[in-house]
Amino acid sequence: MGRIIVANRRGHQVVEWDVADTEASRLAIEEAERIIQDARARGCAISRKVDGRHVIDNAPFDPQVEEYQIIAPIAGG
Amino acid sequence: MPRSPADSIWSRIGAFFRRGFAEDGDPEPPLELPWQQTWDWVPKRSAGPGFTRSDYREARERGAEVARATLGDDLWGQLLRDGYLEVPSGVCPGLTYRLRVGRRIEVRCADGMRSPWPYPYLCINPTYPLPDEEFFAQLYLYVRDRESEIIRTAAPQPWDQPLGRTFRSQASTRGRSR
Repeated sequence: MGRIIVANRRGHQVVEWDVADTEASRLAIEEAERIIQDARARGCAISRKVDGRHVIDNAPFDPQVEEYQIIAPIAGG
Repeated sequence: MPRSPADSIWSRIGAFFRRGFAEDGDPEPPLELPWQQTWDWVPKRSAGPGFTRSDYREARERGAEVARATLGDDLWGQLLRDGYLEVPSGVCPGLTYRLRVGRRIEVRCADGMRSPWPYPYLCINPTYPLPDEEFFAQLYLYVRDRESEIIRTAAPQPWDQPLGRTFRSQASTRGRSR
């Protein structure tokens, strides 16, 4: 089971997918990939969990990753 | 956190509808993708109209959960113990960024070193509202993994103060300084 932590004003919400050979899994993975691509295109950074901690990551979406997080764009002032 | 009468009315209306959904067994609000919206109209240190005290409390709790998961238990414990985390610069040897929850970044220089900024505090906000703890963890990742983004974005300031685009529970808005 993989997931994206979507940090927002609610604290966070989670998008999950199961890596299985089913139509539902395929659709969930497509949706997760769309969310990551859209967030990146709008200036967000993406982190990925590695050895128990998150690291900002530029690699393409990989459904085998345990956990992603979407990091807000930043602005000065 | 000061609220206008209009905010208060919308807050009550929002709470009424949320209670209605909860009774129907569907308490989870729809997925919100904040990068798809503009937030400039939302008052500083606010999550926007319609957020109740319990919404703020839940957001802060959930934000703290994610911050802990993002940083890992060791760093989270260090933050709770010391009240800050420090990240040495990979670009300027002798410079250290001190991060505190909900505050500007403090730039600390080794003896004899001259800071690249004219002031000791860097103001950096998320572009959409987030709980203090949650953005703290995100800012930590930027400083550690994308220092160039910090250098490009930071607005140097002569004094410390709370960030404008993050918020904490309405019940605990006092005493943010550390």
